[in-house]
Amino acid sequence: MKGNSIRFLLIVSALVLVLSISALSVTTIVFWHAYSETSGEVNLLMKTIIPDFEQLYPNIKVDAQLVPYDTMYQKLIVGVRSGVLPDVARMDIIWVPQFANAGILMPLNEQQFPGFDALKTQFYPGPLSTNFWKGSYYGLPLDTNTQVLCWNAKDFQEAGIQGPPKTMDEFINDIKLLTKKDASGKTIQWGYADGGVDVWNTLPWIYSMGGSILSPGSTTSQGYINSPASVKALQTYAQLYEGGYIAPWSGGPGTFEGLAQGTYAMTISGPWIVSILAGEYPNFKVNFALFPAGSGGSRSVTGGEDIVMFKNTKHPDAAWTFMKYMLSDKVQTEFAQLDQMSAIAHLASNPDYFKTNPYYAIYTQQLETAVARPPVPAYTKIDSILTNLWEAACTSGMPAQAALDSAAQQINQALAQQ
Amino acid sequence: MKRATRLKVVGMLFVLPGLISYFGWTLYPIFYAFLISLYKWNLNPELPSKFVGLANYITMFQDPVAGTAFKNTVLYTVITVPGQMILGFLIAYALNKKIYGQTTLRLLYYLPVVTSWIFVSLIFEYLFSGYGGLVNYIFHTNIQWLSSPSMAMVPIYVLGIWKGIGWSMLIFLAGLQGVPPSLYEAAQIDGANKWNLIRHITIPLLRPTIMFELVMLTIGGFNVFLSVWVMTSGGPMNSTQVVSVYMFQQAFNYFNFGYGSALSVMLFVIVFIIAQIQRRWLKSND
Repeated sequence: MKGNSIRFLLIVSALVLVLSISALSVTTIVFWHAYSETSGEVNLLMKTIIPDFEQLYPNIKVDAQLVPYDTMYQKLIVGVRSGVLPDVARMDIIWVPQFANAGILMPLNEQQFPGFDALKTQFYPGPLSTNFWKGSYYGLPLDTNTQVLCWNAKDFQEAGIQGPPKTMDEFINDIKLLTKKDASGKTIQWGYADGGVDVWNTLPWIYSMGGSILSPGSTTSQGYINSPASVKALQTYAQLYEGGYIAPWSGGPGTFEGLAQGTYAMTISGPWIVSILAGEYPNFKVNFALFPAGSGGSRSVTGGEDIVMFKNTKHPDAAWTFMKYMLSDKVQTEFAQLDQMSAIAHLASNPDYFKTNPYYAIYTQQLETAVARPPVPAYTKIDSILTNLWEAACTSGMPAQAALDSAAQQINQALAQQ
Repeated sequence: MKRATRLKVVGMLFVLPGLISYFGWTLYPIFYAFLISLYKWNLNPELPSKFVGLANYITMFQDPVAGTAFKNTVLYTVITVPGQMILGFLIAYALNKKIYGQTTLRLLYYLPVVTSWIFVSLIFEYLFSGYGGLVNYIFHTNIQWLSSPSMAMVPIYVLGIWKGIGWSMLIFLAGLQGVPPSLYEAAQIDGANKWNLIRHITIPLLRPTIMFELVMLTIGGFNVFLSVWVMTSGGPMNSTQVVSVYMFQQAFNYFNFGYGSALSVMLFVIVFIIAQIQRRWLKSND
C-alpha cells in the first residue's frame, strides 16, 4: 500500500516536471505589423496564418501586435532609444536601410540562419535590393507592389486612340491628345495625372527614359540624377506640366476618382486602385498597361514591405522559423488574395496565385524590371531634395539641367552625412 | 517644529509635485536638447555619438532652408498675432453689449478654439483647393493656393487667425468686464464720443490683457506646427517651411537629431528673448 502511494507520487511529480519543462520551452516572439484591418489582412493573420504556424511549431508562440503604419515609424524610433523592440517586424521597404544603419536590425546570413541563401534567390531583384545595406541583408521582401499605367477606355475612344501607349513617344503624344478644353479655354480633361512628384511618382519617368538616381553601388548621384537621360526625363515632364497636359498635383479630384470620372485619361497606381474604386464606382473598369517604354525600357517603382529581425532578439532561431514561414508559398498565396502581392518570382507560374486578382498578371510583369527607390538611410532626405527641385522645374521655370545639378550636389551631401 | 517652519514645509510639499514635473518634463528636456545639439548624435545608445561642438549651429546659419523657416515663422507671428488680437477685440467689444443671442454667439466664436488642429487643417485644405475649392469659387479666382510657393502661406495665416480669434475674444471679454461702467458714464458727461471712449478708457485699462495676449500669442505663433504639417509639410519647395516642422523633419525623418536640436535651441532662445522684452515693456508701462 505504502509502496503504491510512493510510486503514484513519483509518477505525478515526473509528469508535473515533464509538463513544466515543455511549458518552459515554449518561446514567445513578438511581431509588429501594420496589416490593414479593413481589408481583412489582420483577420487572415490572426485567424489562419498564426494559428497554423503555432500548430506546426507548438514550441513557438507568436504575439502579433498591430501598430498602425503612421505610428510604426515613431514607435521604432523610440524603440531604438529605449531598446523596447519586437523580435520580428513587417517594415516599409524605405525604412529598412535607415534602421539597419541605426544598428538595430539583425544581419541575415546562411551560417546563422540556414536556408537564407536558397530563400534569397527566389525574390525579384527590385524588392530584394531594399534589404541590402553595407554588405549585408537585413531582411527579406514580405510583400511587394509596383505601379502600372491605368487608363480610361472611354476617354481613349473619344479621342480616337486605339489602345494604351507602349512607347514613351506614344505616351507623350497621347497625353496631349487626351487633354481637352471647353469653349472658354478652361481645361476639363487632362491626359495624365499623378498625386505628386515624390520619387514614388517620378522614378518610372526617370528610369524608363534611361536615367537613374544613384550609381549602382548607391555611392554617388553625380552623373546619374543629372545625366543627359535623367535631365531629358525632367524636361519632358516639366514641358507637359507647364503646357497644362498633366493635371496640377493638388487641388483637383484625387487621381483615382478623376480617372473613374474621366477627368484624367491616365494615371499610375498600385493594385489597390481596384478595391478602392470598386466601392464608389462599381461600373468603372480600370484598364492596365505596362508603363510606357523609353530608351531604358519599361521601368516602374517598387513598393511594399520587408520582414526584418531585430538585433536584440533573445530567440533568433524561433524568429527565423517564423520569418521563413511567412515567406512560404502557402502564406504568400493566402495574402496574395488580399492585394498583398508576393515578391517571390516563381509564384507567377502558380494559377492559385492569380485566382481572385486577374490584374496581378500585368503587375507581375512590371515587377520583373521594377526598381526600388534608393535603398540608403538618407532616402527620405533624397526624396525631399528631388521632389523640391522637380517641382521647381515644373512650376518656377528652373531649367531641368540646373535643377538636377543642384539635386546631385545636395544628394551627395546627404549621402556623405548618413 | 515652529508653526512658521511647519507651514513652509507643508507649502513645499504642496508645490513639490508641480516642481518635480517642471524639472523632469520641462527643464531637463531643454537642457538635454542643448546637449544633443553639440553632437552628431546617434539615436542608438549603443553606438557612439560624436562631439561636434557648435558645428550644428554653424550649419544652421549656412542652411538656406533654415533661413526660410525662421523667416516664415517670424512672418507667421507678425501677421497672425495682430490679426487674432484686433479681430478678437472687435468681436469682444460687440459681444460685450447686451445683444440678442449673446451667449450663443460667444459660444460660436469660441468653437474653432476647441476643434482639433488636424481636423480644421484638412478642412482648410479643401476650402483652399485650387480646383473646385470654395475660396476660389467665392472670389471667382483660379489660384493654386497650396501648390504655388508664393501663395501657400496665405491659407496657413488665415487658419491661424481664424482659429485663434475665439481665445483672444474670450480674454478680451474678461478684460472688458473689468472696466467700471462709471468711467464711461463720466466721460460721456464730459462729451466724449465712442472713439474717445475706446481710445482713452477701454484700451488703457485693457493694457494688462493686451500684454498677456501678446506674450501668449507670440509664443504660440513661434510654435506653429500642426497646420503646416498637415496642409503642406513645409512645401512646395520649402516655401512654407517653419522652424518646428523643419526641426521635426531633421530629427525624426532624417535622423539628424543634433541639427534638429540645434534648431529647437535657437527657437527657444528667440522666444525667450522676445518674451523677456515684452515683459519689460509691460512693466515699464505700468
